[in-house]
Amino acid sequence: MIWLFAAVVGFPGRSAESQAEDQRALRRVVDRDSGGLGTLYDRHGRAVFSLALRILGDESDAEEVTQDVFAQAWRRAGQYDESRGTVAAWLLVIARTRAIDRFRARRVRPEGRVQDDGGLTLQQLPATDPDVASEMMAAERGQRVRRALEALPFLQRVAIELAYFEGLSQREIAERLEQPLGTVKTRMRLGLLKLRDALVEAQP
Amino acid sequence: MTPAHDELRHDAAAYALGVLDPGERAAFETHLAGCAECAAEVREMRRAAASLPHAVPQVSPPPSLRARILREIAPAAPGPPASLVRRERRAPPWWLSVAAMLVIGAGLFAYAQRMQARVSNLEAQLRNAQARAAAADRLTAEARTAAFRAQAAMGVFAAPDVARIDLAGQPVAASARARALWSRQRGMVFTVANLPPLPAGRVYQVWVVTAQAPVSAGLLTPDASGGGSVYYETPVDILPPTAVAVTLEPAGGVPAPTGAMYLVGKPAPL
Repeated sequence: MIWLFAAVVGFPGRSAESQAEDQRALRRVVDRDSGGLGTLYDRHGRAVFSLALRILGDESDAEEVTQDVFAQAWRRAGQYDESRGTVAAWLLVIARTRAIDRFRARRVRPEGRVQDDGGLTLQQLPATDPDVASEMMAAERGQRVRRALEALPFLQRVAIELAYFEGLSQREIAERLEQPLGTVKTRMRLGLLKLRDALVEAQP
Repeated sequence: MTPAHDELRHDAAAYALGVLDPGERAAFETHLAGCAECAAEVREMRRAAASLPHAVPQVSPPPSLRARILREIAPAAPGPPASLVRRERRAPPWWLSVAAMLVIGAGLFAYAQRMQARVSNLEAQLRNAQARAAAADRLTAEARTAAFRAQAAMGVFAAPDVARIDLAGQPVAASARARALWSRQRGMVFTVANLPPLPAGRVYQVWVVTAQAPVSAGLLTPDASGGGSVYYETPVDILPPTAVAVTLEPAGGVPAPTGAMYLVGKPAPL
């Protein structure tokens, strides 16, 4: 059982290996080899589709976003910068941006836009973003994050979810929850720090 | 530790989640460049933020999506792998292989067809179920907000220490009326009617007035008829309220009241 736990929590080597595999696939994409894109899709298509589906709540929209994400990966593979995060994280950032843009367009609220993947959000992602290659590991990890989120006090959790999954600004969240702006800022900060603590504790 | 630090550190979470407005973002980044404490905190928060997509229920996209993506994006597909290229071998008597192939082939073909249909069918069913689960997850998140409010409101109604405060409309909103039910432990339920429509960029803010200072309970955006019912969490260590008031404030609210008073009232025994 120990090995399973270790595999689930993730040896650093394991995710580095997975990242190396992704980078090989990405280099093939840069060389205009569609097989490389196929490999990336096989490894991360499910995570990209699932994130889009969570944000949009509609399967055919999520399919189109997934298609956009890999189209962008095909066009911009050369711009991927390893120092900013893993290939998996890069794809998920593009997915989030695209899905939220589409979500906002659907609600006819063109004002405001979640930060573009070319900019800040990308830099934020840790270089050691864990491995999503194995579905078993991904499922276990997902459960761990989910549990940590569920353990947060209500307002902290909702504030984080509205920001991450709907791309709402702090002001918009304050309006949605009918809380003062200062309260929302405090809750968001506490929640994210607690989430960090919970995820760190789960590591051996 | 600068005044900028005290003010801007509260934006770290929104920065890590990628939802600061461009102006706020520029200000925060300027501060970040010179503040090791904020930089460290942002690094930690990014880590937590990057884990969020993995909390989402995982659903497989339809199998056709892969082919569609590859066809439309990268039409130049590579040839088949070398291992599939047929190799010549010395064959047993021709009639044996033909007979065997016919028998086995017919059987396998029928079997494969059946299995293929079954697998496709099961895959479709599984995907439907997963998609429904994911959609439900999203709805649950929305329902949670509503349920929390309802539950919290019930808690206030039933609180042993509940106090009632009736608020009367002030000259700017003479026909407005409101009632607050407040419990130190459980918060406040605030119900209002006949508030004038909000001007652009403004919001109503509800205050619990104490002997020390007014404490913000929260913001209030009335519905089209100027009514609404809202639940607010209030600090447990608040001094006993001497009044509850509603003022008109800039959108987003303010730490202390600045605008015109629309409603005010003092606690009454239940």
